[in-house]
Parts: sequence; C-alpha cells; structure tokens
Amino acid sequence: MSITLRIILFVFSLISFGLCVMKIKQSKLKMNNSIIWMLGSFLLILMSIFTDVVGWISSLLGFMAPVNFVFFIIITFLLIEVFLNNMAISNLNEKVKDLDHYIAIKEKEEEDREKEKNNK
Amino acid sequence: MKVILIIPAYNEALNIEKTIKDVTENTDYDYVVVNDCSSDDTLEVCQKNHFNVLSLPVNYGLTSVVQLGMKYAKKNDYDIIVQFDGDGQHQAKYVKDLVKQIEDGSCDIAIGSRFVTKKKPKSMRMLGSGLLTSIIKLTTGKTIKDPTSGMRAYNRKAIDEFIRNKSLTPEPDTLVYMMKKGINIKEVQVEMSEREFGESYLKPLKSMEYMMNMFLSIIFIRAITRKNI
Repeated sequence: MSITLRIILFVFSLISFGLCVMKIKQSKLKMNNSIIWMLGSFLLILMSIFTDVVGWISSLLGFMAPVNFVFFIIITFLLIEVFLNNMAISNLNEKVKDLDHYIAIKEKEEEDREKEKNNK
Repeated sequence: MKVILIIPAYNEALNIEKTIKDVTENTDYDYVVVNDCSSDDTLEVCQKNHFNVLSLPVNYGLTSVVQLGMKYAKKNDYDIIVQFDGDGQHQAKYVKDLVKQIEDGSCDIAIGSRFVTKKKPKSMRMLGSGLLTSIIKLTTGKTIKDPTSGMRAYNRKAIDEFIRNKSLTPEPDTLVYMMKKGINIKEVQVEMSEREFGESYLKPLKSMEYMMNMFLSIIFIRAITRKNI
C-alpha cells in the first residue's frame, strides 16, 4: 500500500471515529447505531497502521494487491450497513402504519360517541 | 352472519357518492369507507352525506387500507368482509353471490371474477392477468381466472390469516399464500363497469413494476409457504 493511501485512510478513519463520539455526546446518534461505525473506523485505523498484516492476509486470500483487499473490506462493510438501514426503515414504516391505523380507529370511536350523545 | 363491505377510497370524491348509493340500495350489509388521506375532498363528501367513514391521517396505499378495514371489522365482530372498490367499477348486486358462497361454507375466500363463464378479451392488461393465472396454476395447481380482481369476500378463517401476517397485500400473491395455507378459494361470475372519473391505484406506467413484484413474490416468497399445523 502506498504511503498516501495509508495517510488518507488514517486521517479519514480518525475523523469518522471522532465524529461518532461527538454525535453520541450531542445525543444525535444512538449508541447502538454508531457502534458499527466506530468499529469500522477503528478497523480502518488498524489497517492503515499494520500494512504488513494486511499484505499478508490479502496475499493469503489471493488478492492482486493489498489495496484491493482494503477496498473489499470497505465495500462489504458498506453493503452490510445499507442492508441493516433498509431493514430499519421497513421496521419504522410498519410502526408508523400501525400508528396511522390506531389514530384512524380512535378518531372513529370518538366520532361515534359524539353522534350517540347528539342522538340522546 | 354479519357482513361488512370495506370500501377503499383514494381521491374518489367524484365516485364515492354513487358507490355508496349502489351499496345501500342493492344490499342490506354494513359498509365502511376507508379514506386513505385523499388530497381531494373525498372526506368532506363522506361527512356531508353521513357515510360510515374511517379516515387515515397518512397515505399508505391499498394494503394499509385493507389491513385497517380488517382490524375495524374484527373489532366490531363481523363474520364476513367484502373488499369493494370505491371507484364505481364494482356493482353491489353481485356482493350477495359472493357472501352466499361463504355462508354455504363452500369456500373461505370468494372472488368476484369477470372470466368464470366469459372469455378474457385480448389486451395488454389481460395478457398480464393471464400470466398471473398461469404462474398461480404452476405454483399451486389451481386455476384462478381473474387473479387481479379487487372484489373479494373473506370469512373469519381468511381474515385471521390475513391479520397474522403483516406482509400480506390484497394482491394475487396473497391468493397463492392463502391456498398454500389450505384456504379454499372460489370464483363467482360478476360484471364490472369501467371507471368514470379519476385514476386507478394501478397506473399503466406502474403495471410493469407491479408484474415484477407479483412474479418475484409468488415464485420466491409465497410458493414456499408452510401450512399451519
């Protein structure tokens, strides 16, 4: 891995790590959502420091160059994250729909009650 | 048995009055209009005429509307639910035939089908319908001649199944799921008219996406459904 890539990786992962910590402190991010980002950026920091290990693993797995291995890790990480996000969105969608139904039924009940009152 | 018609309405201000008139004149069943957060004055029309209406504060589409209708019917202890379009395509006089089939106990879901005794006309839309028929035949071995028909009657058994699984939509793939669960489906010949005003839930541009969804859902998800033990 070239020295520039190492520096870029190191700096960016430091920034994202710091950002995570800051956002949790400002309570704009939930702890369990951010843990995966913290782990991810920590992994990137490790990879930019211990390039020998990265080179050894990538040759073991048959990658053409260590940098490909790094990209592979990043892409895998992002794909997993997008998938988890999608699941979370579906989940939220379902919850909002339940609330939607709840409101509709409650409003209906109230209306019916008022109608009964007026009839009496 | 207590019967209720669920009438989904999304921007049907021009059609809804006629539909309800048709329902109240030709049947003596209860009904509930489910207004899916229409942007026109569907709700105002319903309130002005004192229709029995449920109004959703957020638009979520047909699936959500039918699910809400089922919840409402369950809460008020109805035995049979009939899904009936609010756009004036369905004719209330045929609802009796569907309900009768269920009351006789000859089936759990009755579908108001256009093509039991009559032949399908040839058009793009019917080509899609034919494809769905053959894929349902392939996965379940049973023939549903009009799988996209929106006029369906469900009994308690089918309603419970519907409420249990939140991913079910009021679409053909659910029929496959139901058949795999051992629910009897029967088709009853009905006639449908063309809609007079407004747009349908299924716009022509969206029908490609709809077909893709149905195919993937039927083949990869609903075809592998296990029967309740």
